[in-house]
Amino acid sequence: MSSLSVSTSPLPDEPFAADGVRVSRSAALQRYSLRARDPAKLAAVVGRELPGRIGGVTDGIAQLGPDEFLALLPVGTQLPSGEEEPVSVVDISSRAVGITVEGEGAAALIMSGCPLDLDRMAPGQATRTIYETVEMVLVRESETRFHIEVWRSFAPWLWQSLRLSAE
Amino acid sequence: MLLIHCPYCDEKRPEIEFAYGGEAHIARPLDPSALSDEEWETYLFIRSNARGRHHERWRHIHGCGRFFNAVRDTVTDKFETTYKAGEERR
Amino acid sequence: MSGYRVTGAGRVDRARTVAFTFDGQTYQGYEGDTLASALLASGVTLFGRSFKYHRPRGVMAAGVEDANALVSVTRGPGRFTPNLRATAVEIYEGLEASSQNRWPSLKTDMLAVNDRLGMFFPAGFYNKTFMWPRSFWEKLYEPTIRKMAGLGNSPTEIDPDHYTAAYVHCDLLVVGAGRAGLEAALAEAGSDKRVILIDEQNELGGWALSDPDQAQWLAQSVATLTAAANVRILTRCTAFGFYHDNFVGAVERLTDHLAQPGSGAREKLWRIRAGEVVLAQGAIERPLVFEGNDTPGVMLASAARTWLYRYGVAIGRRPALMASHDSGWQDAFAMAAGGVTISAIVDVRDTVDDALLRQAADLGIAVHLGSSVIGVSGRHKVTGVEIAANSGTGRKRIACDALMMAGGWTPTLHLWSHSKGTIAWDESLGAYVPDKANENVRCAGACSGQMDLGTGVVVPALPTPKDASRIKAFVDFQNDVTAKDIGLAVREGFKSIEHVKRYTTNGMATDQGKTSNINGLQLAATALGRPVVDVGLTTFRPPYTPQTFGALAGHAKDALFQATRKTGIDGWAQDNGAVFEPVSQWRRAWYFPQDGEDMHAAVNRECRAVRESVGIFDASTLGKIEVVGPDAAEFLNRMYTNPWKMLEPGRCRYGLLLREDGFITDDGVAGRISPNRFHVTTTTGGAARVLAMMEDYLQTEWPDLDVWLTSTTEQWSVIALQGPRARDVLSALDTDIDLSPEAFPHMSVRLGQICGVPVRLFRVSFTGELGFEINVPAEYGPAVWKQIVAAGQPYGITPYGTETMHVLRAEKGYIIVGQDTDGTVTPMDAGLNWAIGKKKKDFVGKRSLARPDIVAPGRKHLVGLLTEDPSLVLEEGAQIVADPAQPVPMTMLGHVTSSYWSEALGRSIAFALVAGGQERMDETLHIPMPGAVHKAQVSGMVFFDPEGARINV
Ligand SMILES: [Zn+2]
Repeated sequence: MSSLSVSTSPLPDEPFAADGVRVSRSAALQRYSLRARDPAKLAAVVGRELPGRIGGVTDGIAQLGPDEFLALLPVGTQLPSGEEEPVSVVDISSRAVGITVEGEGAAALIMSGCPLDLDRMAPGQATRTIYETVEMVLVRESETRFHIEVWRSFAPWLWQSLRLSAE
Repeated sequence: MLLIHCPYCDEKRPEIEFAYGGEAHIARPLDPSALSDEEWETYLFIRSNARGRHHERWRHIHGCGRFFNAVRDTVTDKFETTYKAGEERR
Repeated sequence: MSGYRVTGAGRVDRARTVAFTFDGQTYQGYEGDTLASALLASGVTLFGRSFKYHRPRGVMAAGVEDANALVSVTRGPGRFTPNLRATAVEIYEGLEASSQNRWPSLKTDMLAVNDRLGMFFPAGFYNKTFMWPRSFWEKLYEPTIRKMAGLGNSPTEIDPDHYTAAYVHCDLLVVGAGRAGLEAALAEAGSDKRVILIDEQNELGGWALSDPDQAQWLAQSVATLTAAANVRILTRCTAFGFYHDNFVGAVERLTDHLAQPGSGAREKLWRIRAGEVVLAQGAIERPLVFEGNDTPGVMLASAARTWLYRYGVAIGRRPALMASHDSGWQDAFAMAAGGVTISAIVDVRDTVDDALLRQAADLGIAVHLGSSVIGVSGRHKVTGVEIAANSGTGRKRIACDALMMAGGWTPTLHLWSHSKGTIAWDESLGAYVPDKANENVRCAGACSGQMDLGTGVVVPALPTPKDASRIKAFVDFQNDVTAKDIGLAVREGFKSIEHVKRYTTNGMATDQGKTSNINGLQLAATALGRPVVDVGLTTFRPPYTPQTFGALAGHAKDALFQATRKTGIDGWAQDNGAVFEPVSQWRRAWYFPQDGEDMHAAVNRECRAVRESVGIFDASTLGKIEVVGPDAAEFLNRMYTNPWKMLEPGRCRYGLLLREDGFITDDGVAGRISPNRFHVTTTTGGAARVLAMMEDYLQTEWPDLDVWLTSTTEQWSVIALQGPRARDVLSALDTDIDLSPEAFPHMSVRLGQICGVPVRLFRVSFTGELGFEINVPAEYGPAVWKQIVAAGQPYGITPYGTETMHVLRAEKGYIIVGQDTDGTVTPMDAGLNWAIGKKKKDFVGKRSLARPDIVAPGRKHLVGLLTEDPSLVLEEGAQIVADPAQPVPMTMLGHVTSSYWSEALGRSIAFALVAGGQERMDETLHIPMPGAVHKAQVSGMVFFDPEGARINV
């Protein structure tokens, strides 16, 4: 890779913290959108186990819909394209950026604009949802730690909204 | 804001995660060229506009992404049921 | 007693005095006072002027239901709030409040003349009077009405405050923290349920705050709830609306009561989803309807008791009571027990309970049964009342300095009604009570109709020997609706309460008829000679009390109004002086002015650069969809007009997308990356719509197809490199792709590396020049852009914006969907027949292309227009006519859709939608524009390099 071709993020390097909550830019990830009518065929193509139900997460792969999976993997992880197979494997590493929200107040901060009842979302769950008008994928990593995936151009808006809500 | 049961996610989710998709069970004709102008007009434009029980499509666009069907009362706004696309009309 | 403050009574903190101003005059109150209680304590009775007649008004109620004492509060630039109820404004050191609806001053109001002209302002006055002549509207009626109408003044500056919002979920929501609400919450305190208890006031308690006997119970209850971890208590929080599925909107006022509001949010919008809702909103006492009932100093009996026991304020030295209900007697007795002399009790009933009479006698209060107040003396303050027996005889004056009125109680059903719960008429209460719930909600306490306040009678208006047509007995105090207005509406034929309401405006003011609905309804029912239940009840709608726009907007203001989407390259554009324009949610570089250039000069220079050497353009906002799977080509074949199956991997094709009705909805270029993978592009504005449309067909019409769609709009930065030197620039970069014309012809796509990052390199052109679109992962877009700019320096590489892009494409006859089409344009209308796969049996919209009105002659066609004066650039949107001499209104043939100065051609060019345009080639048409009518000749749409020689190099 050319030394001139550096990666850039739409989000600031500096995290912000408020009462009981800290919000930071997540580390870079290799992201794939994985689709298949038959998850078994997809699992065979990518050589990984898939969660068995919508909302589940298995080894970095979240099931968002009946035929849709989002893989959030370490940078550099390459998955086969599955050409010829009835599956779709699309590298979307650059499409979204990650935001980490952690602390006792993490769920409340996300609920400032997200209409889901996060008291009812167990750690290890993931879902696509919305924050006011902006779509996001929400992964609950632990009781007090969430990972948000948001499309690149919407990320500054979401970051600012969280910052203001945290005040 | 309504709560809508998504038959794919199998849970009630807030209305703003969904998009309305118009009347349900209006299948695109398999061979449109075989239709008369009147038949094609009916397919394109004519809707039941029910007062009361209404079959309609919704999409869990900011969730699992799936289109599904619902029966909703257009007077009370209450959902009677929702079911997966492709299932029998209820 | 100091002023009207009563020693020892009330919950205000006597140790903490608070200074504030009202209409510029300084007053003192105590912490815990409202503006109303503090002013009453200071002897102020006149609080404002009424809406229509500008009559002097005082406070009528002690809570948010008060209809009279509307004030404005200002806290510096932009922080101006009109129409606050003085009864709900907590005082703080330095509060600046002012009265409304008066000029030049509250005591001397010039528009009070309206009161004398009252006979000219009957119900339906505006509807009747301002109908004719029409010309009077603009010059006389409207300016006059605008000057006179409206409550208070609108703020004129931008609100500098910020507002916050949150969703919150609970198992039990209790609205209202009076006795019933507290009990409902206490029942779950310490349980595993999530409980939210909200109340609009500054402290919990409701009516219990006005009843010293309940003080100990109240303190214990509040302590228990405060200690319960599962109970969230929100005070100064108004539940303003009840929506579907137990979704309740509430606004918490965070700083309005603070002398130093700080930098935090002013208000917070709570969006509450509750498993169960308990409404404990209480009941509101009804005024009585008689002449002079709006005189300052006439107020609800329960309010008088609240002033005394909650705030330590006597409403007068010797108030009288006018009652139709026992509760007023109890209030009068409580006042007497608190040291206030009651000058008389007047009751419209001929008989009342003996116990009441005995107690009045014990207290030495004169009682007048079977009598009514028929007039009130005093203009800015009550000085006495005139009463008469209900028969009209025995008129006499009673000296008093305030009048309490007790007309019975109306359960507060607003939120219950929002939730679509049904209501039932309760004859003994003379009010509606909740009946069947429509959600998981129940009412508790007084709002359920359960009250222990004695009995009463319902009287629409008190009997009077006076000529009813000459008196003003108010029903709706805020909208100045009188009993005779309602009678007039009925006489004029309005039979439904919904119509009476709109004709008289009864219940339509900011108080939503809290004190007037039932009285208005009783009057209408009596006038109609029908039972109340047949006349109905008007619908309650949110908000329960007025809320600020700020609270409802929340964070959605300024930069957060909505997301402004920026590409990765936006920052470079900003650093390089770009002027931006909004394109759907994106902001895009419009042009890059240099050295004081205006837009015209900048665009001309950018156009020359692309035609003569090379330009660089940020096309990242283009919608992109990855279509993957064994049926990918079949799917695209069904969606687009064009054929896709034979397109070879590595090649690209223009795609035209119709709606099923046959009209163009989008277009773009798609490249076949591999046999089962396409990279499809859409217009910037169409990206989300096209993906949703494709998903719809895929999921619901063709679920058997093995193909999946993934939005990749934001995965790729797209850098368009256009111009005769584009290949030279690209060749100077580090890439493994063979750029030679033979290896990489026009309309093809190659995968490889550029500047060390993966690239999908398209050879495509939207300018008519040799062109490439360099797709790199978005995070590397800015870095690659900068390297291309550096590599292009020897060729004078020029960044260009959307305006130059538009000009260049127009010179080549390329349309922009949404600008040159408007949802009524078919491929034939647009001259795009070539893009339709003639051998295809079906595609979305194909059948509609044979619809009778689409094959009919005379449709508008997209054509070129060349002005007779080559220097004249037509206005986009200008109408086109065949004969400018025809009489107005002229027959319009169509309109100009795109129009530019073409630097390459040295003249203006335009596209237009023109009726029968394709049959009008070379015809001269006329375009009327401000100042002149211009001539233009119909032409083809390709103005520049019609052979396409410049692309295929
Ligand atoms: Zn779903």
